[in-house]
Amino acid sequence: MKNIFKVGVLSVAMLSAVGCGDFGDINIDPNNTTSVAPETLLTSSLRSVASVVGRADEMFYTQMFSQTQYTDGSRYVTVNYDFNGWYTGPLADLNHIIEINSNEETKADALVSGSNENQIAVARIMRAYFFHFMTDRWGPLPYSQALQGRTNLKPTYDDQETIYLDLIKELKEAVAQMGGASVKGDFILGGNMAHWAKFANSIRATIAMRMSNVNPSLAQTEFVDAVGDGVITTADENVMYPFQADANNQNPWFAAFITRTDYAISETLVDFMKPLNDPRLNVYADPAPLYGDVRGMPYGIENAGDIPNDEISFPGYPAVRGQDAPIAVFTGAQMHFLLAEAALKGWVSGDAQAYYEGGITESMKQWGVYDAAAFADFIAQDGVAWDAAKGMELIGYQKWVALYLQGAESWSEWRRTGYPVLSPAPDPLNADGQIPRRHGYPTSERDINSDNYAAAVQMLGGPDELSTRLWWDN
Amino acid sequence: MKKLSMVFAMMLFVLGATIAQRSVTGTVTGQDGEPLIGASVLLKGTTVGTITDFDGNYALEVPEGAQTLVISYTGFTTLELEASSGTLDVVLQEGVTLSEAVVTALGIEREKKSLGYAVQEVGGEALTMVRDQNVVSSLTGKVAGVQVISASGASIGGSAKIRIRGANGLYGGEPLFVVDGTPISNSNFSAGYRGVDYGNLASDINPDDIENVSVLKGPAATAIYGNRGANGVILITTKKGGKRAGIGVTVNSSVTADNVYILPEYQNEYAGGYTQSYISAVDPVDGKTYNVLNYAADESWGPRMDGSLYRPWWSWFAGDDYGRQIPLEANPDNVRNFFETGVTYNNSVSLSGGNENTTFRLSFTNVSQTGVIPNSKLGRNNLSLNASTKLTDRLTASANINVARTDALGRPTFGYNGNNAVMSFNQWFQRQLDMDRLRDYKNPDGTFRSWNIRSATNLRPLYWDSPFFSVYENYPTDSRDRYYGNISLSYEILDGLTAAAFFRRDSYSQRIETRTATGGLDQDGYGETVINGVEDNYEFIAQYNKNFGDFTLDANLGANIRVNDYRSNSMATVGGLNAPNLFNIKASIDRPSVSSFMSEKVVRSLYGGATLGYKSFAYLGFTVRNDWSSALPVNNNSYLYPSVTGSFVFSELMNSSVLSFGKLRASFAQVGSDIGAYNTNFTYGAGTPFGNFPAFGLPNTLINQDLKPALSSSYEGGVELKFFNNKIGVDFTAYRTDAADQIITIAVPGSSGFSSAIINAGKIRSEGVELALTATVLETSDLAWDLTLNGARNNSQVLELADGLTNQRLDSWGWGGLSINAPVGGEWGTFRGRGFSTYECNGCAQEGQKIITEDGRYVWQNNKELGGVLPDLTGGLRSMFSYKGLTFGAFLEFQVGGQFHSVTRMFNAYSGLGLETVGNNDKGNPIRDEVAAGGGVMVEGVLADGTPHTAYADAQTYFSNNLFALNENWIYDASYLKLRELSLGYSIPKRVLGDLPIQNASISLIARNLWLIHANVDGIDPSEISPGSNGYVFQENGILPGVRSIGLNLKVGF
Repeated sequence: MKNIFKVGVLSVAMLSAVGCGDFGDINIDPNNTTSVAPETLLTSSLRSVASVVGRADEMFYTQMFSQTQYTDGSRYVTVNYDFNGWYTGPLADLNHIIEINSNEETKADALVSGSNENQIAVARIMRAYFFHFMTDRWGPLPYSQALQGRTNLKPTYDDQETIYLDLIKELKEAVAQMGGASVKGDFILGGNMAHWAKFANSIRATIAMRMSNVNPSLAQTEFVDAVGDGVITTADENVMYPFQADANNQNPWFAAFITRTDYAISETLVDFMKPLNDPRLNVYADPAPLYGDVRGMPYGIENAGDIPNDEISFPGYPAVRGQDAPIAVFTGAQMHFLLAEAALKGWVSGDAQAYYEGGITESMKQWGVYDAAAFADFIAQDGVAWDAAKGMELIGYQKWVALYLQGAESWSEWRRTGYPVLSPAPDPLNADGQIPRRHGYPTSERDINSDNYAAAVQMLGGPDELSTRLWWDN
Repeated sequence: MKKLSMVFAMMLFVLGATIAQRSVTGTVTGQDGEPLIGASVLLKGTTVGTITDFDGNYALEVPEGAQTLVISYTGFTTLELEASSGTLDVVLQEGVTLSEAVVTALGIEREKKSLGYAVQEVGGEALTMVRDQNVVSSLTGKVAGVQVISASGASIGGSAKIRIRGANGLYGGEPLFVVDGTPISNSNFSAGYRGVDYGNLASDINPDDIENVSVLKGPAATAIYGNRGANGVILITTKKGGKRAGIGVTVNSSVTADNVYILPEYQNEYAGGYTQSYISAVDPVDGKTYNVLNYAADESWGPRMDGSLYRPWWSWFAGDDYGRQIPLEANPDNVRNFFETGVTYNNSVSLSGGNENTTFRLSFTNVSQTGVIPNSKLGRNNLSLNASTKLTDRLTASANINVARTDALGRPTFGYNGNNAVMSFNQWFQRQLDMDRLRDYKNPDGTFRSWNIRSATNLRPLYWDSPFFSVYENYPTDSRDRYYGNISLSYEILDGLTAAAFFRRDSYSQRIETRTATGGLDQDGYGETVINGVEDNYEFIAQYNKNFGDFTLDANLGANIRVNDYRSNSMATVGGLNAPNLFNIKASIDRPSVSSFMSEKVVRSLYGGATLGYKSFAYLGFTVRNDWSSALPVNNNSYLYPSVTGSFVFSELMNSSVLSFGKLRASFAQVGSDIGAYNTNFTYGAGTPFGNFPAFGLPNTLINQDLKPALSSSYEGGVELKFFNNKIGVDFTAYRTDAADQIITIAVPGSSGFSSAIINAGKIRSEGVELALTATVLETSDLAWDLTLNGARNNSQVLELADGLTNQRLDSWGWGGLSINAPVGGEWGTFRGRGFSTYECNGCAQEGQKIITEDGRYVWQNNKELGGVLPDLTGGLRSMFSYKGLTFGAFLEFQVGGQFHSVTRMFNAYSGLGLETVGNNDKGNPIRDEVAAGGGVMVEGVLADGTPHTAYADAQTYFSNNLFALNENWIYDASYLKLRELSLGYSIPKRVLGDLPIQNASISLIARNLWLIHANVDGIDPSEISPGSNGYVFQENGILPGVRSIGLNLKVGF
């Protein structure tokens, strides 16, 4: 019995030595960090711009690209598009940059990446850029209540007008607060704050023009104000996403063509450009092997596989799908066409024709095919030559050509202006068979943010379908 | 284990001897005449007994009034005999037994009747009857309530997944594997749905070393294993040496041949292409125009194979065959011709011996396998040592060391993946292709060729390399070094009180190399992953057994420290290789992707338990355990859970000639489970840098510093009955498990800035019944026939999720939005996806009919509930028949209910490859003919307004567009009945062996996966739908073919 007692005491002593909940630092993750320079968050957010400029669906909608064998995408098969990644990715990181540079405890440390003001300004500009891109796809969005983490796990939606007005405010304030050391981590504009200001003003002008049908007076005021503050007007000021000759950061069309041949230039675009002998066409696309010149792929047909590969033209190499071919984020040509429209409307002084022709000039410069003599011939021919009576149509078509690869902007401007005049895919897969006017909300919202989703659909003023028009698209 | 049982039995013997009245002696042998060493001889209903010595002899003093002797030996059928005095020689039959002594948690062997919960054991002989190399797949169908999903034999050493009693938590989960008390990893580094299957790590266990496997199902049996026992425990006991004269040597050799036997049914009427007309191509050499097929098409909607002359793909490649025309004819066996006969050699030798103080067993096994898919092979070597020695009378030192090395080359790719040649054959192919022409995948100049050329003049492939290129050039290699085992010291402090200390380790080093060769369709590349996992357990346990008059007490007290250390390094080239086929990270053209990861987790535990017995018929037990986990939030890292069990052997109180044994049992337990390391603290995530600009981002998962352990509560009750002198046995169990406070990663609206959050919520209830029946149908001196049937029903319901959450999507993959879900109020594992729209009209005649359009397209309904993955009934039937030296064993396995989605079937139809895409319609015209010409597929349904409508749809439109991504059409019932194992053996009689130094020898013909007797889907084995690591098993998307193995096994004992 004595032995049992001894063993018992010993056991209890051993066991209590073991039974302890103090583990020191074992659960501190050695693989990840709790502190980073804010510039790394900016770099991360800016990399998401590649996902804006590398999108195919909107290029299908305005029939720049056709699909080859598998054509569902160009026949509008997808209704619901996921927006969650934009929030959890770049938007959350941009918000965090603003927070780090605003919080009294962290703002001093944040100075390693530039002045607090400039970091906040760039983050606000990029946040506005992403939100603008998003609201033009979906319409009403979680905006003022978004990105609050645990504080608000079911953000409500704001209508598109509210978002638009706030974006304008954000862009203005961002430019106004710039000052001090330039930002680091910026591989797009190299920390050039003047260039950032022009970019911000250019987005603001674009936003303003987009609401010209629904709120013309405010549109005019903001457009004129933004242009007055300085915008991007020339090709050498173009904001380009700089892809690299490195698989980690390569051009998305290059990546798509490593093994497959899923995209070809659309017959619709070729049929417009070819008769005009547009010098950009041979840069936009490669010749079809069988014919030796550019041939468009019929758009949106069911039995596309019947058309052999060597009878159609793929996106041009290297200008479009070189591994390091850049893609435009915002161009001087774009602004010229906006200015041409503003001049037509009488918002700005200046000659609509000059802006219009300047847009073509800047676009050709962008693609490296500008030649003064050839240009003079090009703009003199029917279908291009300025005619104020058909001003909007001419601007619309030339802007469409100039926005090649900028699918999202091209789609928005088609919705707003109706140009170019397009026929939907002959074999559509969507309910109404028409070209989409918006994107459906991600199905996750219906499931896990149900009440707010229902309210958003109310705001939308129509069903959560591709066919419902957005606020500015009446 | 035998050692322990010996000690235990001797103790009983000593106790029993004091009141002995008469004596019985005899010899216990197996059917082969080999003496059984250490067989237990027990007086029924008492604690009096002994074990046989190394000649199989026993002697027992039998007290007055004792009626029956119970003779049992693991792996053999237990026998009960009248305890007359004098000599009683006994022959035991081999077989699955519900033996009296079973191994329970912590390796403690206990009398089964004292247990208040279900334990089902499978003997080593039953596991190795047909030489299955994976212990998990060899358990298939043998234990009630245990569902095993294995990979096809084509995936050499592929994964086997195990699901015990349905879903034990929101995310399901696999049981813990324990070998001789040492928990070992059953991780799986395979791709989830598509990629390479590297097998589950428990396949390192050598089946030849297994004495028996005990499956602990309810938390009642597993509470003592802490949080890791929540999904059950597979308790493996290995063979040990025993006291014997000299050294026993057993040699076992087997060779089996694998052949493909299940493939989808293909059509052999139409060739490759997208339309039935030929394409013309001008030959630049002779300037003539030829009929060609659309080689770039990877579908078979092309011209009818009517013998017309055409230029096949290979006629455009320079060489002797350039310019050849051949008749367009079918190649019905082209797919089958791709496969080879796989051969597996399994050789093992074991040495065992022992004396009063020391016992040992040393074994070596070599497995060498080639697969049915060309260029796939695997080799495994196992070495294991079990040794135990008494250092003093009371101090025993033991060691158990297992070493395994696996090397594989060309493990086949499964699922929807360009490297899976079989997926191409079944989903994207041209039916006329001649496999022998594809075998020549190299051009004379060293470049590669494929059938899928872009056109007659552009010979670059569009979608597919030659399947032989995929297997001979893009092959992965992998290897794994594994060792596990324990060393221990055990000290008998007093009679009945033993204290033991163990050091246990499981360590593996897994290496995987993947290659994409230069010159194929895909960018060349190389990847390398090395994973090291180590788990150490420091264990102390004290056990106390004592009899107090009518009462017995078994008590234990233990402490454990577990340390898990995990490291991985993975690297892959980016942007291609800078020299052809230089498979090295340094050949990366761009900055390679490289990452290293390490994690450490510590769990400290205290536990204890006691079982009180009364007069050997009533038992009451409890356990309690407290865990402290380093992975949980510091302020909430301690958790305690208890269990209570009871059993009542009511047959002890009656004297029935019909009922020989009867027991009721009941138990309740709770078990906690925690989380992986580093889930409770915020960190930034590293993104892909832009050139020299590093990139970091906020995490997408909202971490939770208030997490607490999840808690499962489980109730179980059962009855065991044996009739007619144990000739018929029934074991019935009913259970309910409520898994509450699940640690769930819920999706949150991304607009919050996070995509998911970790919370405690939810309740999943699994309920079911299990039944095991054993019957000795015939039993004479020469003849024996035993049947064992087991079956189980389970239902796992989602009772609650987080507030406001009505459904948790568990996983999704593929087209049409197909997902697997846990909907509140519904069944765990419910399918949702695209289904047929059906007409609803409150019971009119058209109610429930499919809605179609005028031109015969089905109208879709998204997010429709489409059934569930969990089966209604699973089980198996084993028959063992012996006549003198001949034995005949058969094992049937079945499943009723449960569903799966088949991508193979979907694209088999989409691409015009399947048999269903040809034939005639009701008008007697080929369905592939133009609708206007009387062809087309007849589609019946109602229009949107309910009007009955019949339309004819163009066949290609019907299968490629109408049914594509229409998930409901491709969801199949997974019920099946399969003859899984067959063995015909012959024990060579001793007289034939004569003077040879051979003690016993047997030879058997063995067969595995012999016959899929019934399935509700053609061309697919529902029991093998999902290899790889994904545990939900809800679909196949590129299944490898079913493989049948037939071979010979020779076993010789010296």
